[in-house]
Amino acid sequence: MDNILQVRDLAVDFTTDIGITKALNGVSFDVPRGQVTAIVGESGSGKSVTANCVMRLIQPPGRIVSGSIQFSPSQGSPFDIVSLADKDPRLHELRGGLISMVFQEPMTALSPVYTIGNQVAEAILCHRDVGKAVAWQEATEMLIRVGIEDIERRMFMYPFEFSGGMRQRVVIAMALVCNPEVLICDEPTTALDVTIQAEVLTLIRDLQHELGNSVLFITHDLGVVAQLADYVVVMYQGRVLEIGTVRQVLKTPMHPYTQGLLQAIPGLARAGERLATIESVVGDADITTPYPLVKLADGRQVSLPPQSTPGGQESE
Amino acid sequence: MSEVLLEVKNLCKSFEGVVAVEDVTFDLLRAETLGIVGESGSGKTTVARCILRAIDPDTGTVQFNSSNGWVYLTNLPHRELVPLRREMQMVFQDPFASLNPRMTVREIIEEPLIIHGERSRSRRLDQVMDILDRVQLERDSLTRYPHAFSGGQRQRIGIARALVLRPSFIVCDESVSALDVSVQAQIINLLEDLQRELGLTYLFVAHDLSVVQHICDRVLVMNRGRVVESGTVTDVFERPQENYTKLLLSAIPSTDPDVPLQPLDREQLGI
Repeated sequence: MDNILQVRDLAVDFTTDIGITKALNGVSFDVPRGQVTAIVGESGSGKSVTANCVMRLIQPPGRIVSGSIQFSPSQGSPFDIVSLADKDPRLHELRGGLISMVFQEPMTALSPVYTIGNQVAEAILCHRDVGKAVAWQEATEMLIRVGIEDIERRMFMYPFEFSGGMRQRVVIAMALVCNPEVLICDEPTTALDVTIQAEVLTLIRDLQHELGNSVLFITHDLGVVAQLADYVVVMYQGRVLEIGTVRQVLKTPMHPYTQGLLQAIPGLARAGERLATIESVVGDADITTPYPLVKLADGRQVSLPPQSTPGGQESE
Repeated sequence: MSEVLLEVKNLCKSFEGVVAVEDVTFDLLRAETLGIVGESGSGKTTVARCILRAIDPDTGTVQFNSSNGWVYLTNLPHRELVPLRREMQMVFQDPFASLNPRMTVREIIEEPLIIHGERSRSRRLDQVMDILDRVQLERDSLTRYPHAFSGGQRQRIGIARALVLRPSFIVCDESVSALDVSVQAQIINLLEDLQRELGLTYLFVAHDLSVVQHICDRVLVMNRGRVVESGTVTDVFERPQENYTKLLLSAIPSTDPDVPLQPLDREQLGI
């Protein structure tokens, strides 16, 4: 398969006063070109750390200790993001150019003291050799595309004058304005109301279809995964437990942890009854030992004890 | 049927001329769970706070069926509110911000007892121990500080603090919103167990519709300070009458990849 990103054996340590925390412990997965890959997991699973590794945003006390992230842009030769030197010009080209990122909290991703127009145009001026007028024009077009109305006036407004959903649209415009090959979204709708979330998800989905870029989507919300993703990577305690297509993972989850995650969601089917907890679903199954990911016949990968990893035995 | 525990009539509240809550009226029955849902800014938290008199409403009345008979919570001077607060407590959203980092778990849970005049140290400790068991925290937690606990455990501490006075009425303001789904399931189960054991009445303020659908008996849907629809959870979720409720429900992403998200359009619905 044609993968734009290949993450292999990625390990990240955070050194603290009480010792070393292994935030990532041998993470491997692929991001297929032109598809949406979701990393799903709970707090502390390492999903955001993984995203930050791709952008090389890990800062002390964190450190990438081993592994590689092979990036294969559509033009030029593939290279390993992890082994780039801090001053390598390719890193600048990468961040916000070839790969860009939408963060959870739009207010912290935008500067309060610059106008919307300024901030989106700046992204263009940083990465391309064009004049201010061209940058302004393209920024305007991108903001219209993400659904900002009354644009002539809005270009000159400040982030505090925008609602949360509008701000996130601006951040998405900023991320897409250089036409990145990979768009990383780190919980982009978590801070939003469910109605606004639906609008932003629809926008991301439509733009992805239109522009055809590859998306790496980080979320804890399995509903968001179901609606947006083609492929799903399930993470837990710095490891990958299961990889598959969205239908494989959500409809017939193989790993007990994934099954628990799905069953713990409150829904009408179980109204009035006790909710399943991950503990109750997982039971005696061992989810903490780092078994290697095994590739099964149908293409999915799962990390289970060898005796319970036959080719496609489904426990649901 | 069950008796009424709380009666809210024509509640209104503005902040500096901005209307937050407008003409909200509803009853709360003993031992039921009533949900209030709505987007941010809909006024759901303001309603909850007006009821507990954390803020004072502009107009409207709140009557509470206390152990000493009916009282008007609105208009009551703060001095007279204090004894009533034994019977109504709140569990907050943020398990990090709502616990004092400088107090031990014992001090946190014990404080309401001290405020409400329990002088006997040993009786206080007995009550703290009892509630600790009920929320399933280890007894050695007592001497530790909040930072030593996970988000879910902290929320248990917050629930223990709310329950130690043996209230009949609990306001849960987004009490499970900040938790991971697995921890959220544990806390929802705990809240339901405690309700059965202690006969609690919950007012459950939340923006997560599936949580409300699971835990609540009845629900109020709020938009721009007004209640736009109310009814049993089954009625409201399965047969919504109002466009605003339909809009909210259409925005929930299904966990089934074959059920595509098709949010309704605010403008087409005329909202």
